[in-house]
Amino acid sequence: MNPDEVEFLAEKQLISIIPTFNSNVIHLISGDVGPFRASLPVRVPLWMAINLKQQRKCKIQPPDWMNIEQLEELKEEEKRSKTFVKMPSEHYMIEAKLLLNYATDDISRADEIRTIIKDIWDIRMSKIRSSVDTLVRNAGFYATVDHLTLMEINTMRPLLPHALDQVYRMKKAQSTRLPTQSTTLSLLNSSHRGSSLSS
Amino acid sequence: MSLQSYTPNYFSIDDILASQERCPCKFIVDIPKLGRLNPSAESNDLKAGTTLELPMWLAEHLSAGRHPIIAVELPRIYKEAYREILKADACAVDLHKLGLYFYEHGLYVKQFDARGDVSKILLETFQVRFRQLMDLANNIGSDPAVQDRLDSLERKLFKEGHAARTRLNTWLTDSGTPIEAAAMVINHKKRKRVDVEDII
Repeated sequence: MNPDEVEFLAEKQLISIIPTFNSNVIHLISGDVGPFRASLPVRVPLWMAINLKQQRKCKIQPPDWMNIEQLEELKEEEKRSKTFVKMPSEHYMIEAKLLLNYATDDISRADEIRTIIKDIWDIRMSKIRSSVDTLVRNAGFYATVDHLTLMEINTMRPLLPHALDQVYRMKKAQSTRLPTQSTTLSLLNSSHRGSSLSS
Repeated sequence: MSLQSYTPNYFSIDDILASQERCPCKFIVDIPKLGRLNPSAESNDLKAGTTLELPMWLAEHLSAGRHPIIAVELPRIYKEAYREILKADACAVDLHKLGLYFYEHGLYVKQFDARGDVSKILLETFQVRFRQLMDLANNIGSDPAVQDRLDSLERKLFKEGHAARTRLNTWLTDSGTPIEAAAMVINHKKRKRVDVEDII
């Protein structure tokens, strides 16, 4: 998947804003939003929040987890733990990126938050890299990984699933003595199934 | 972006190219009137015992069946000596030099290897080299020369991984910059000149 597609999915996340205008309920395909009353907080999808912010029609209330103390703690925990720590949001990276780009004035100490989130991302990326290497090296076919966010999973695509397909082919070749047309065919089918899941 | 990873099939060009790789074959029976296959022999017939390098697609079928015509030997790069090198440090080997289709050819060759060492070394080599491949693909700005040491299968994975990583990095760095006209439009000479003073 393209990172932009992941971002698109993440923009459905709700976030609370304080509008500076009045409006009735807006009916959208994904659900109703509003009503908007000036200076009363209301929850809207992220994409709408950004859009309203760009028109200067609202103030965005950053999510609870977006503060220095909590993120520092999270970073330390991520450093200590060997496995992945549960992130406060399924799309923390995207939310942070969008909010820090478009609503810097609504977030206190935005620059520091930006750095910490980048640190957390980097720690997690290096964990992903080493665990992927272990996975391929031990010719495992699956690994249980909890608390990875969609964007992080997406960083290993398509390299990891495709590499695993090749490992699978070579492993299969090891167990079958003579490759015939039929094994090639069954390989083809199984890999179709595999890659439709993985990509 | 291709969603499928590579699998050999009837229409796959890579598979066809991979089966063109040659391997040494020893003729078991005399073959009349095919002496010209062997450039060093002068007789009209191909004698039993001659060794020729035949492409895999031919060797595969000539050696099969109840009366095989040839006995296929392992190509040099899959023999014990090279296997030792790969075992020692697969990352240091220039696979591209060994053969453009190291893995694909190996998967064909392994049927002539009774002990299964070839398929084992293929898997091991791939697993050990994967880390290197992943690091290469993840490093933006690496010069194009790095993929010179990869075989075609690895190269394909590298390209896919590299493209995905480039997209991710663009996403990470691009920080909501305002939309601009494309460079082509700006540089386009025939664009109408708008006189600013006229508007004001």
